[in-house]
Amino acid sequence: MKIRTAKFFVKEGFGSLRKNKTMSAASISSVIAALLVIAIFFIIVMNVDYAASKLESQIEMMVYLQDNLSETIVSSMSKELETISGVKDVQFIPKAQALMDLNEKWGDNAYLLEGLEGENPLPDSFKVTLTDPSKANTVALAISSISNIERVVYGKEELEKLLQATYILRVSSLVIITILVFISVFIISNTIKLTVYARRKEISIMKYVGGTDWFVRGPFIVEGMLLGLFGSFITSLAVGIGYYYSSNLIKNQMIGLLSVTLMPFGELISSLVLLLGTVGLLIGIVGSFLSVRKFMKV
Amino acid sequence: MIQLRNISKKFANGHVALNNVSLDIENGEFVFLVGTSGAGKSTIIKLMMKELELDSGMILINDKDVTKLKRSQVPHLRRSMGVVFQDFRLLQDKTVYENVAFAMEVVEASQKEIRRQVPMILGMVGLSKKSKQYPHQLSGGEQQRVSIARAMVNGPSILVADEPTGNLDPEMSWEIMKLFNEINQRGTTILMATHDLHIVDRMKKRVVEISDGNIIRDEKRGGYFSENQNR
Repeated sequence: MKIRTAKFFVKEGFGSLRKNKTMSAASISSVIAALLVIAIFFIIVMNVDYAASKLESQIEMMVYLQDNLSETIVSSMSKELETISGVKDVQFIPKAQALMDLNEKWGDNAYLLEGLEGENPLPDSFKVTLTDPSKANTVALAISSISNIERVVYGKEELEKLLQATYILRVSSLVIITILVFISVFIISNTIKLTVYARRKEISIMKYVGGTDWFVRGPFIVEGMLLGLFGSFITSLAVGIGYYYSSNLIKNQMIGLLSVTLMPFGELISSLVLLLGTVGLLIGIVGSFLSVRKFMKV
Repeated sequence: MIQLRNISKKFANGHVALNNVSLDIENGEFVFLVGTSGAGKSTIIKLMMKELELDSGMILINDKDVTKLKRSQVPHLRRSMGVVFQDFRLLQDKTVYENVAFAMEVVEASQKEIRRQVPMILGMVGLSKKSKQYPHQLSGGEQQRVSIARAMVNGPSILVADEPTGNLDPEMSWEIMKLFNEINQRGTTILMATHDLHIVDRMKKRVVEISDGNIIRDEKRGGYFSENQNR
């Protein structure tokens, strides 16, 4: 494309926005309405996903050892565990430590432990954290094959349920956002169709004097892009500010009540702006493309 | 050069607009296309512009077969022809200058060419002083001259006009015809569909009469009605 053609598109696109102020405002409003729904949905999905991945990362594997192993054996086992792929961190917990931890955990009920009369029935153990919880099964299997290990324990079923739930969430969110995008394209193309209809004369003149299809579409597509970008800019700003304040509010109010907080603003905002910008641009372009199509047959 | 070879066109509602019509127009000719409404005058123009598709036959414009053109080649066909309509079809929110420049921008001419060509063509149609005005500030005749300037600004070899004087009073009509004559004298082929018997009689140009989709008369220097026809 020639530079002067691009200039012409931009000039005409901006010019049309300025001339059709009411229609432009209507189009931008419907872009905002559509993007707002997408943004809210996206924020919910991101937060559930965030909470899920936080839970996932907290999953630990307990590896219980046989009794009375020498220190050298234990340290070589520790090294062996660390070489298994998927293992993030290995921490040795001697039986005495385990008993103390239990004592602390049980709190007021710790008196029950007094019945042990100095005996410690707990085994030595390793606490293993994982890089990728979905590989827990393979890691557990690999650990079991090491000698001198009594048992490997982790919340297998709970982990699988959690993994499945987050998977379903991710897939269904993708589906729903796709559907929302389609609906918005439909709405936008109908709004833009009104501006195009108002300018059908211009289109037919362009066609009569020998404008190519792409040349005729150009200004409308630029106009659509601008509408989409304005819409996503305003939506990003509104949602961003809203999220920033409400996440702070929730953090301050509920920090003691819930272990899971909202996704931090900084982590969410860039992907939100990227999503809204892309979707806004996309619905603007596709919307005007569709609405011009009908008037091209001259 | 315009050559129509046995062209036929039937509309979806069954109306036969053109029935096996053949017509040759040489370069530099001035031809009036006359006949009652619905006789097929506008259909010929639309077929030449490839706004409509032929049922059968062939149309050659400057030796190129219009019927074989792909959709992507149609713009180039139209650049070789200027069109003028009865209702002017000017853009109301653009000035006279911008309306004419628009036609050049559409064919991706450079700003330099536009700045050279548009004032020249506005001078030719006698609107140099009105270049900054908007169409609604102009008389009908002036508006039609803007649309002629727009049609001619890209230097087409053929000017096609569909009832260009239909909305104008006789005096203005005659001014437009003088302009057409001037354009024709500079070498542009002109094909003009019209109802205006005074103009046709006064111009003494070639007249092709269409009735019910057939050419019934083709005279070198004719009037609106045939000589042996009762008025």
